[in-house]
Amino acid sequence: MKRGIADKNILDLFMEDFCEIVEKHCKYIICSGFVAIAHGRTRATEDIDMIIEKLSEDKFLELHNDLIENGFECMQGEKGEMIYGDYLDKGVSVRYTQVGEFLPEMKVKFVKDRLDEEQIASRQKIPFTKLDVYFSSIEGNIAFKEELLGSDKDLEDAQHLRMIYEGKIDEGEIDRIKMKIKEFRFNGK
Amino acid sequence: MVSKILRDETHNDQIVRWANHVKSSYTWKAELNEFIDAQFEIASRFYSELAKTTSGREKLKKIRESKISGVKI
Repeated sequence: MKRGIADKNILDLFMEDFCEIVEKHCKYIICSGFVAIAHGRTRATEDIDMIIEKLSEDKFLELHNDLIENGFECMQGEKGEMIYGDYLDKGVSVRYTQVGEFLPEMKVKFVKDRLDEEQIASRQKIPFTKLDVYFSSIEGNIAFKEELLGSDKDLEDAQHLRMIYEGKIDEGEIDRIKMKIKEFRFNGK
Repeated sequence: MVSKILRDETHNDQIVRWANHVKSSYTWKAELNEFIDAQFEIASRFYSELAKTTSGREKLKKIRESKISGVKI
């Protein structure tokens, strides 16, 4: 059962409103630092990372216009064509907030390769978070943080997730994703 | 393993935008507090849900002990 609006804070509302609109147009995942925070890591992040399916310009304009009509704005500019051509299509992320607000901020980018596509295919909702949004898999998050990102903060996030999901983590899947990271991100496939 | 910086140009834009907001607004502290509080509320909410299960309570105990001792989990 969904909780009432009164139970939700600004970040709950921002995320669920934004994700509900995006889901009408394409599949997405919330990934990286916010996954750890939603699992109880007591640290803060500046933005929420979202990866969406790669869209044609026309399809992206429909999504962008829907976001604008529902009270969001893009920090990179107003024109959807420019946001698509100068940023998303070049692999650069763009940032949306509610109109006139600085925080919270959703950092949106297209899938980069098959590795990202796999992450979207294996997305999941996590009832314990009480957030009605799709997250990337726990194994995926751990693999990315340990193999690719690798800062102290990322390694601590991965350690935290390992602790939370102790006995439930598919180590083979983590190893498989790490191999894919080496293949696609280090070897530039 | 090589640690990689994966932030792109819009991250720098965000830093500049926020810094300008801090310089020009009296409300930035309240905005930031509300945003950070919301993140901690979400983290805390997860712990509350976890504490409803036996295995969850065990995990919480281990996390707490690791924080107290400073030993990595």
